[in-house]
Amino acid sequence: MSVASSALTHAPPSFARDAQFGTATPGKIGMWIFLVSDALTFAGLLISYGALRGGAATWRHAGEPALGVNFTAGLTFLLICSSVTMVLAYAAAAEGHRSRASFWLALTALGGVLFLGGQYQEYFGIWSAGLTREGLVFGQSAYASTFYVVTSFHGAHVLSGVIYILATLVAWMRGRAGAGHVELLGLFWHFVDLVWILVFTFVYLIP
Amino acid sequence: MRHPSRRQYLAVFLALAALTVVEVAAATLTGVSKGVMVTALVALAVTKAALVGLFFMHLRSETPVLKATVIVPMSLPALFAAVLVAEAVWRAGS
Repeated sequence: MSVASSALTHAPPSFARDAQFGTATPGKIGMWIFLVSDALTFAGLLISYGALRGGAATWRHAGEPALGVNFTAGLTFLLICSSVTMVLAYAAAAEGHRSRASFWLALTALGGVLFLGGQYQEYFGIWSAGLTREGLVFGQSAYASTFYVVTSFHGAHVLSGVIYILATLVAWMRGRAGAGHVELLGLFWHFVDLVWILVFTFVYLIP
Repeated sequence: MRHPSRRQYLAVFLALAALTVVEVAAATLTGVSKGVMVTALVALAVTKAALVGLFFMHLRSETPVLKATVIVPMSLPALFAAVLVAEAVWRAGS
């Protein structure tokens, strides 16, 4: 089946088996290479965070708030749920269930929006004071600056992911995207989840 | 290429949720040395990340070459991190 015809039938595109990469599409290989390069950017930030923290005599200064582990654990669970809805969207897309795939994609986007809302609450406060009002000010300490840089860089990925999901959802509903597009989208979204798992541990959980 | 079934996706989801609960519980333990706690938390995080990569991102069913293309460059920063953070800690203590 060609790529063009697979987009019309919603079936995943299939290519002749390659000796090294099997039936992986060029799009999938390209997405993986992009994700590897993105992972190295995150790695740079997390290594800087670790080196600064490991070399600091005092990491959290007096007057600076502790990070909310329980609230962020809830956000972590939310991202894990959104990864599940994404794989269900792909499974439905691969089977050609147009409305079911649309439903799961929309639910995944909602999960991303809720995560961003949670991050806004954490930073600025919606129903309670956020970290900025509690004394965690960017530029005031390495603790504050690394927290905001790492988590907001991840938040930018969530925002990009939500936009990517919505764009794919529209294309899917118009019949201009196939299961292969949903699979590539899924790779990006799961990567965002995967990175958050590491950020949650290094920034929030390690004492 | 065979992708995981819906039942496997659900099993991975339950494992991820359970590991998250274990992580949060482990982080609040008292009387445990920092080294042990950090090792346990990093091991839990790597396990969760591996589950996402292998099952949700279907890396498990890719060819060895594609797996290596992804896993090798993504694993090297862990080595850099270990060296750089250990050096920073040593420098701060000396």
